[in-house]
Amino acid sequence: MSTLPPHACRLRVRYAKDGRLAYLGHLEVMETIMRSVRRSGLPFEVGNGFAHRMRIQFSQALPVGASSKGEYYDLLLSEPLDATVALEALKEATPTALAPNAAVILPRRVPALEAWVDLSCWDVAVRDSSLHAPGFEDALGRVRDEGVINYLRGTKPRSIGLADTLVSCEVRDTDGGVDLVLHTRSSNRGALRPAVLVKAVCGLAPLRVCRTGQWHQDDDGTLRDPLAEGQGVLLP
Amino acid sequence: MRLPRTDRYAELEPLLAQVEHPSRYLDHEWGACDDQRGPFHACLIYADVYEVGQPNLGLAILYNELNQQEGFSCERAFLPWVDMADLMRERDIPLLSLETSSPVASFDLVGITLAHELVCTNIVETLDLAKITLRATERDEDEPLVIAGGPSVWNCEPVAPMFDAVLLGDGEGAWVEIARYVRDAREQGVARADILAGLSRMAGVYVPSLYDVVVDDTSTRWGYAVPRPGSGAPEVVYKHCVNDFAATEPVAQTIVPYMGVVQDRFAVEVLRGCARGCRFCQAGMTYRPVRERPADQILSAVHAGLRQSGYDECSLSSLSTTDHSECANILSQLNRELSGKGVRVSIPSQRLDSFGVDMAAAVGSSRRAGLTFAPEAGSQRLRDVINKNVTEEDLDNAATNAFRSGYRRMKLYFMMGLPTETDDDLRGIPQLAEHVLALGRKILGPRAKVSVSISVAVFVPKSHTPFQWAGQLPLEEVHRRQQLMIHAASDRALRISYHGSWPSLIEGVLSKMGRRGFDLVYEAWRRGCRFDAWTDQFRFDAWNDAAAAVGLDLQDVACEEFDVDARLPWDHTSPGVSKGYLQREWRKATQAQVTADCTRTTCTGCGVCPTLDTSNRLVGERA
Ligand code: SF4
Repeated sequence: MSTLPPHACRLRVRYAKDGRLAYLGHLEVMETIMRSVRRSGLPFEVGNGFAHRMRIQFSQALPVGASSKGEYYDLLLSEPLDATVALEALKEATPTALAPNAAVILPRRVPALEAWVDLSCWDVAVRDSSLHAPGFEDALGRVRDEGVINYLRGTKPRSIGLADTLVSCEVRDTDGGVDLVLHTRSSNRGALRPAVLVKAVCGLAPLRVCRTGQWHQDDDGTLRDPLAEGQGVLLP
Repeated sequence: MRLPRTDRYAELEPLLAQVEHPSRYLDHEWGACDDQRGPFHACLIYADVYEVGQPNLGLAILYNELNQQEGFSCERAFLPWVDMADLMRERDIPLLSLETSSPVASFDLVGITLAHELVCTNIVETLDLAKITLRATERDEDEPLVIAGGPSVWNCEPVAPMFDAVLLGDGEGAWVEIARYVRDAREQGVARADILAGLSRMAGVYVPSLYDVVVDDTSTRWGYAVPRPGSGAPEVVYKHCVNDFAATEPVAQTIVPYMGVVQDRFAVEVLRGCARGCRFCQAGMTYRPVRERPADQILSAVHAGLRQSGYDECSLSSLSTTDHSECANILSQLNRELSGKGVRVSIPSQRLDSFGVDMAAAVGSSRRAGLTFAPEAGSQRLRDVINKNVTEEDLDNAATNAFRSGYRRMKLYFMMGLPTETDDDLRGIPQLAEHVLALGRKILGPRAKVSVSISVAVFVPKSHTPFQWAGQLPLEEVHRRQQLMIHAASDRALRISYHGSWPSLIEGVLSKMGRRGFDLVYEAWRRGCRFDAWTDQFRFDAWNDAAAAVGLDLQDVACEEFDVDARLPWDHTSPGVSKGYLQREWRKATQAQVTADCTRTTCTGCGVCPTLDTSNRLVGERA
């Protein structure tokens, strides 16, 4: 584990990804946020390597095409700071469509964000006039029974098991299609992308995908909010 | 037809999932100007994809200048990649601006960058996708005025029929003045034809429709342009030149892209112009005089730019950064001030001498990536012909210094097909490279992994250079000379690469032709040519067929030599360098006589300073 300088303090930030930027890739989001941190003037820690990279960790990649109400990053600050002050500085320096909306100071040592946050909730809109909730649910049942979805990512074949990754899926009829509320779990074996599930069930690409929340789930099933263990400020 | 100004993003959005790199089309970047109330609306277009066009410094300068004016708004547009363009056509979505997703054809004024010759078919593609009438003379009264500008305006005849006007030279001040003029004229209900006549009276503005092309026995087969009788247009349009470069905004780049772009760093233009006088170099002739930015301005711009953008790299950009009188001071101060902050400084071109290597080492340019030098020719005689004032000793010193400073890789750039070139000159290229290899092994030891690679491009004669009369090398001869060089290379550690000979031929064709060249450009586009500068999109067969269809032969056009006394298709547009000077330089070239750099000696009489009432403005003595 890398060393922590004596005054370093860990800031966890929650930010949204506006629908307009749904098609921004994860690397683009990370680069944009790192530039925002530099603009904010916050004192951040850099790594020891030649490139002096910023010490920052991101939560799991949001699939390209999805927006989000709550993504996270942990930034190592080189001196203790009030979370409210830090949040204000970051908000000022970040494009509105990725603006942070909450920040907490965490204990110095916490599990790595990317693996720790493992449960996601999604709103998914699928539009096609022939789609109805009962039919979609039947098809979903069949896919679930098969247990595995084989799909292509670009040209590379991939597969994902549903037993571990698909927690629940609620289907509702709406104008011209169906809306889903989906819960998925990720592990080191992979994560289920909503678009992959929808494609497997009805052959369509979803019109809109939005991650509405992320948590860590304890062994006893308790959901823990990524901001709960810190002290700081949460904006609506 | 002028399209209505409405936000059409909702039509574009469903296509994003179906295209490569959707972030090209998103806008909302940090620093983009979201107040686009106008009421006068201009749109700047770079006719290539976002990641190529967005870093363009000229575009950034003009975007900010106009957006700072009360009552004026300026947006950006780029050419969608082929996947998106095809989908947009299928759904009848016209080319849209980025900031407000309004049809480009709804704007009052449209500015298009002429970045290089191979962008010609992209300009046709841009206007077609935008649904703007292709030929300026056929545009409706209320259609946008389409104005070109940029580095490649110096033979704009093959694309001139698409432009209402072409701005020659520096854009600062002129772009705003044009916008003001058009706004006022439109408000007063002035007819389009009269607006154009008015534009033709502004400094640096060329209005192609006011000129007739005459072919006679004083000209080449492409003719020359003369003002229409009674049009009032000047016989020669001289470029617009900013004398007080230090008064221009040094922090020009304010938009920070989401996606990775070709020059993904903050750039400060440290000087404009280069007076070294390389006889093949168009920029060297057309950006004169040399104007340096003061060191303190550069330093504060770097700090402000990095703070405002959040970039971790900055580039000191120009045609010849290491020629800046204060280069060494600037770099050492930046190194001190930025050390430990994880910020890299880069300089775009390395001067081929020991000083150049010192400067590269000063910015800590990556030892692994190595150094790049451009001797351009393989023999001293030919380097004298092209006025590349670099001796074998300079190269020796540079290479020795580089190897001693720890560099192990070196890349050398050359051209083939230069006027007076012989097989011996070409054999000199691998010989020179092998000499550098041997030097490296001597300094670093026989076991050291020294690598030298050479890259050879085909020389393309450009307008307004002393070589503008030369013909290009025929393809067959290019390929023979390539073989010759490969055979002349005896050291297996030497790597030779050649730069596309076919695209260079098209570049040569478009650099030579007059206004009739538009028939070829249009025909090539009609046959599917676009993104010609992209190797995977370039289609030589389609260009060949297009040429045949309009009764031309590509090689015949590119390889033709012009008579030194002939009137040329671009004589009516001038960067201020006189034709007499170019003729003198051409003659000196044939005798392998060199001409000195006027920023280091005295005036060598190119004509720019007296013609444009300007002068070199240096901030100190040059090293
Ligand atoms: S006129 Fe003389 S001083 Fe001015 S750029 Fe030309 S050669 Fe240099």
